[in-house]
Amino acid sequence: MLERHIQALHTDNPGDETPAAARERLKGRFPAGATRRMTTLGLLVGNALAELGPGPDDAIVYASRYGESRALEGFLDSFPTPSPTLFQTSIHPSAVQQLMIARQAPVREFLPLSGGAHFAFHALRAALLSPAPRVLVCGGEERGTWLLERGLASARTFAFAASLSLEAGAGPLGRVRLSRDGGDGELSLEALFQLLEGRIPYNGVVAPGWRMEVVWH
Amino acid sequence: MADSAAPVKVADCGCITAFGDARATHAALLRGECALRPVAVLGRDGGEAVPLALLSGRSLDETAPPEWLVAVRRLHASIPGGGWGSPGRPVFVTGSNFGVGGLYALRRTGEAAFATWGGPATCTERLRELLGWGPDVSIVSHACVSAHLGLLLASRAVAAGLAQEALVFSFDFLSAFVAGGFHALKILNSSFPSPYRVGDSGAIGLGDGAAFAVVSRGRGSWTLAGQSVYNEMHQFTSNRSDGAGFDRCLEGVAAASRGRRVWFKGHGTGTLEAGQLEVSAAGRSFPGAPVVGWKGSLGHTLGSCGLVELAIAIESVRAGRTPGTIGGAGPAMSESVARESFGNGAFDGVVCASNAFGGAHAAFLLCHA
Repeated sequence: MLERHIQALHTDNPGDETPAAARERLKGRFPAGATRRMTTLGLLVGNALAELGPGPDDAIVYASRYGESRALEGFLDSFPTPSPTLFQTSIHPSAVQQLMIARQAPVREFLPLSGGAHFAFHALRAALLSPAPRVLVCGGEERGTWLLERGLASARTFAFAASLSLEAGAGPLGRVRLSRDGGDGELSLEALFQLLEGRIPYNGVVAPGWRMEVVWH
Repeated sequence: MADSAAPVKVADCGCITAFGDARATHAALLRGECALRPVAVLGRDGGEAVPLALLSGRSLDETAPPEWLVAVRRLHASIPGGGWGSPGRPVFVTGSNFGVGGLYALRRTGEAAFATWGGPATCTERLRELLGWGPDVSIVSHACVSAHLGLLLASRAVAAGLAQEALVFSFDFLSAFVAGGFHALKILNSSFPSPYRVGDSGAIGLGDGAAFAVVSRGRGSWTLAGQSVYNEMHQFTSNRSDGAGFDRCLEGVAAASRGRRVWFKGHGTGTLEAGQLEVSAAGRSFPGAPVVGWKGSLGHTLGSCGLVELAIAIESVRAGRTPGTIGGAGPAMSESVARESFGNGAFDGVVCASNAFGGAHAAFLLCHA
């Protein structure tokens, strides 16, 4: 059995907010001038992660199925004279790097993941196996345009970040536990986000052989 | 947190490069051969000729289904055992490309068939079906340290008793997407790479590569110890100029290597500043250890380089001879840089290190079990 206590949580569900509106809403949350080249996913994930005050000894687990869809689309559209900025921004874990580089904030362990039907399990297993005293699990998606039409980008934008500790401490928000189970099931990243946003208790099989229990205090 | 995973064993390991399997690649490196050839950076769409090491007979231009699937299936067929992706035998797929060449072709042609293999999750799901894996398949993508992170996660799962064995499977095949991207950054150009050589300007080459490792608690002739990671978060495409990021990563491996005589398999892409920082840091953490880098021949196999080069390191120890650093001329950045191959019988460990965008560093110690 693997278990951690949820000490802090930040979620962002902007609905149909445009990238320009997201930038305007969140620009004050980042160092001056930093947001000009930030992606929507970078703004949302970065803001959620910043709420938790990431430190150098934390482990960061970053989960996004599609990553930087808009930057990827822009980079592909920039050929035959590809954009160097969009190339580096389109690389999978850049949403977290956009915040951390703007803050000049090194971190020992950074585990960026992608995934599908069992993504919630894979991200949480990575987090709960980390030896770091505090693990920050963050993730999200940004709505794509032409990649979405091909089924290769998310239809919605969202972000979350949660702080997980080994010790319960004074007032944890809740607890997450993974344990062996003989059943079959799945839980996507978006479904995990909905559980976190609504602080909805959960007790079910999230991958073949694995049960996830989320309890809120 | 010097050692971020308990030591585990490597039961099986293999790779495919432009030269062939691990044995063929090791032999070619010992002969001092270079797999890099000048290829138009955008394939049939033209552009400057840049050094690429493509699998034999493979074109940079994307096909649907991808022609690299043949190599992936061949590599997979060489993995002993089965049942991968079941709850006790998880798979960790790593890389930094994941069929992204299909997205380039999709945008150029509009043909829907190219969408089938585009993106990490979509590509891995197709691969899972093709290779007969069960559902426990994690996807790790952290640019050029991806394979190291796959090894780390697999090691933790095994060490914690969640799995008897875990498969780390990594693949990166070049496309106009990634060649065009590095060309736009101006570090991929018409010059061939000269890792760890003093020069006026640095340059890299890119290569196709795929590899696997079976991480085990019980069996295996090799031990992975001192697995270490560190992320500078200083700049997207460069490191802190004081080399602190290299030092912070290597300190964990140095602790695990105490009392051993090691050689150092570096990242060594051919960029000047990173090469100098790496050689200097290796000298501080492992005084007297010879430093080698093989990307001047194989090209940079990107997210898979850590696993491809692990397979070659194991082959080197098996054969008793380590290939030297291939590529370029001129003086080396340090006397520790081994330009020629050397017998490794007097050594009892290999430090394998890789670096990535964002100032990401990863390294581990490989030694006999």
